[in-house]
Amino acid sequence: MLERLVAWARGDVPTATLDSERNRCIDAYDLVEELPNGPARAAAWAAFALQTYADKLVSAARADGYVRSESARLARDAYRLAAGCLDIARTGAGRVPDALPRWGTPIRSHDQLVGMRQALEALRTFIAFELRDDRAPGLAHLDEELAKVDRFWIEHPPPEIRGALGDALLHGLDEAYTLGLRVAGAA
Amino acid sequence: MSLFRPVRTVTSADGDYWELYVSKTALPQWRQGRGGGGDIGSVDPRFGLVELPFAILSALWGLLIVPLVRVVVLLPVAVARGRRSRAVRIEAVRGFPEREVFLWTTTDEQVDAVVDEIAAGLSRGKLLQPEGAVYSGREPS
Repeated sequence: MLERLVAWARGDVPTATLDSERNRCIDAYDLVEELPNGPARAAAWAAFALQTYADKLVSAARADGYVRSESARLARDAYRLAAGCLDIARTGAGRVPDALPRWGTPIRSHDQLVGMRQALEALRTFIAFELRDDRAPGLAHLDEELAKVDRFWIEHPPPEIRGALGDALLHGLDEAYTLGLRVAGAA
Repeated sequence: MSLFRPVRTVTSADGDYWELYVSKTALPQWRQGRGGGGDIGSVDPRFGLVELPFAILSALWGLLIVPLVRVVVLLPVAVARGRRSRAVRIEAVRGFPEREVFLWTTTDEQVDAVVDEIAAGLSRGKLLQPEGAVYSGREPS
């Protein structure tokens, strides 16, 4: 209750306001499983990665039902891009984004770091399954970033460490997104 | 781990003397306000003597009392924040030719290895960026 009150006072956004955007790309989780490798599946992967990122950011919010305004902004952008990627996967027309949406500030909150870490782990798991090899060379960069995150993952980190964690997670997410596009797009 | 006693002193090959401090507390910075509202030199000399005590009081207020109250209020917060975190600050301080402070942040598990690495780098005249620490560069003085 107190956390919800604090979230409200801070100007956090009710997660329900993101539902309409999320509903537009709800098929992303299934479509990437159904399509054969190729450009359409690469677009479906992009939609899957974007939706996973947004979902994890929203679900990591500590105050039930509220999410920080900057997380909400990024999640909304990711949902919109995911919906566009789904259209590309279905129609073949258009171009998938080159990268995941960006934050507007350099230092991430604890909730945002948790969401980013969960998203990176989920994307890594998907790619490792696709490659049928948990130790595939392509995963080495992701694992380096995850190892860096492990080294600095402490309770109540100061801004310096949160900045480094955010950078490592961003690099890892970018790597995962690009690697996934390559793997899913390979004929 | 102490704010006031270096854990290591290093003299580099070219003679620079460094002190390494390790602590969990980021001390609040001393931020001076503006002392006084006007330029004493521009005051009409007939009123100068009358205004002088006010100018001195105003300077004391802005330059000493406000910054001191700020530090006294923020210090317990900084100490409490440091105690509940496993983050550790490592500061390398050089006093000559001018005072310079460089900051790394690490975790309590990695602090010994990081201090060793930083000290080894300083002895060779280099500011290293160990894997186990976040290097923030020169601290504002």
